[in-house]
Amino acid sequence: MSQKSARAQRSNVVRTQRAANLKPFYIGLVVVAIIGIALIARTAQHSDASRPTIANVAAAPLKAEGHLLGNPNAPVQILEFADFGCPHCAEFATITEPDVRKRIVDVGLASYRYFDFPLGHFPNSVPASNAAACAGDQKKFWEMHDKLYEGQPDWSDESNPKGVFEAYAKALGLDVRAWDACYDSQKHLPEIEANRQEGVRRAVESTPTFVIGTKKIPGAIPYDMLKAYVDTAAMAAASKPVAKSDSAPVKEAGTKP
Amino acid sequence: MTRAARMTIALLALVGALIALYLTLFKVGVISELVCDVGSCERVNTSRWATFLGLPVAAWGLATYVMLFVLALVSVQRDALERHIAWALVAVSGWSVLFSAWLTSKELFVIHAICIWCVTSATIMTLIFLASLVELGRARRADRAEHFDAPGAASPAASGTGTMRREPHG
Repeated sequence: MSQKSARAQRSNVVRTQRAANLKPFYIGLVVVAIIGIALIARTAQHSDASRPTIANVAAAPLKAEGHLLGNPNAPVQILEFADFGCPHCAEFATITEPDVRKRIVDVGLASYRYFDFPLGHFPNSVPASNAAACAGDQKKFWEMHDKLYEGQPDWSDESNPKGVFEAYAKALGLDVRAWDACYDSQKHLPEIEANRQEGVRRAVESTPTFVIGTKKIPGAIPYDMLKAYVDTAAMAAASKPVAKSDSAPVKEAGTKP
Repeated sequence: MTRAARMTIALLALVGALIALYLTLFKVGVISELVCDVGSCERVNTSRWATFLGLPVAAWGLATYVMLFVLALVSVQRDALERHIAWALVAVSGWSVLFSAWLTSKELFVIHAICIWCVTSATIMTLIFLASLVELGRARRADRAEHFDAPGAASPAASGTGTMRREPHG
């Protein structure tokens, strides 16, 4: 019995010694964890501070045409500046945009204009804009737009994405030879650049960015938020029926004829 | 010495978990941009390879590092490293090293962009794997030494293998 208690005592001493030996190690781990979490929190704060925010913009006439959906004379105009290679744009195009089309554009509350705004981060953005513009020649820009965003992972990392685009053109029932000739000629590049310049003029910094009335809203915003901006812009338009400066694009070199 | 190696594994796993947490927060949208002076972290982390089985790869990494951290902490508490813990450390970190190598190859040859955080994480995982291998070797040697100890021996000294027993205090 006394031998047992002596052994237990010895074991307690060893345990206490071990705990004391490990103390600096545990303190070290806690310090590393605190420093790491503090750095992450600081980065998140900085990242929030540099996140583009909703800004008021003056109504300005369009100099590029973009790609129009809906009634050009609708009381409100939604402008979207997007990059076909950007995942957040794909998220908006596949999740939110179908609702926007059905519940806002199709019922005539607003028109919708898509402007190519290749950021330069994604190597296949301009070829994708080119593919969509060539589909637009056959009145299927929006169908190609949807295919490109739905299939973004299939072509975004390809060294030559033309094969994937061509498969989309076939699936959409386009005249593939005409689409092919258009794609290779790159004749739409000036329009794509004009669309980008429209964004530059409006100080677009990221994609997607929306301009609705006098608000510039960055990010893949949810449907409810976008609808609220449309409603606000519609009310403003109703109180100032003459102010329609945005609706008709002013032609300039490089835009669609 | 042995315990120092296990402590190192725990520390490396903690640092790896913090990096994976940072990338996961970016992936789920809490952080809008990554600090990335070298390479193109955002391009890599928004590519199709940044998701695995429906979850962000960074989240898988976070779960793996937490698992390694817990295993290493448990092993630090013990006098000796049990063989099954050593095997678990080797298996988890070995699988992760293979996965990291596959991801890095995608960065280099498919995405054509390097994410410095991902490379750092892959390096940490490789170090954990190497340390785990060393630990496994040590645990197996210690087990063999224990096995050769005469079961009826009165003391380690009497069995003549006292110097080969598993290290008493790390």
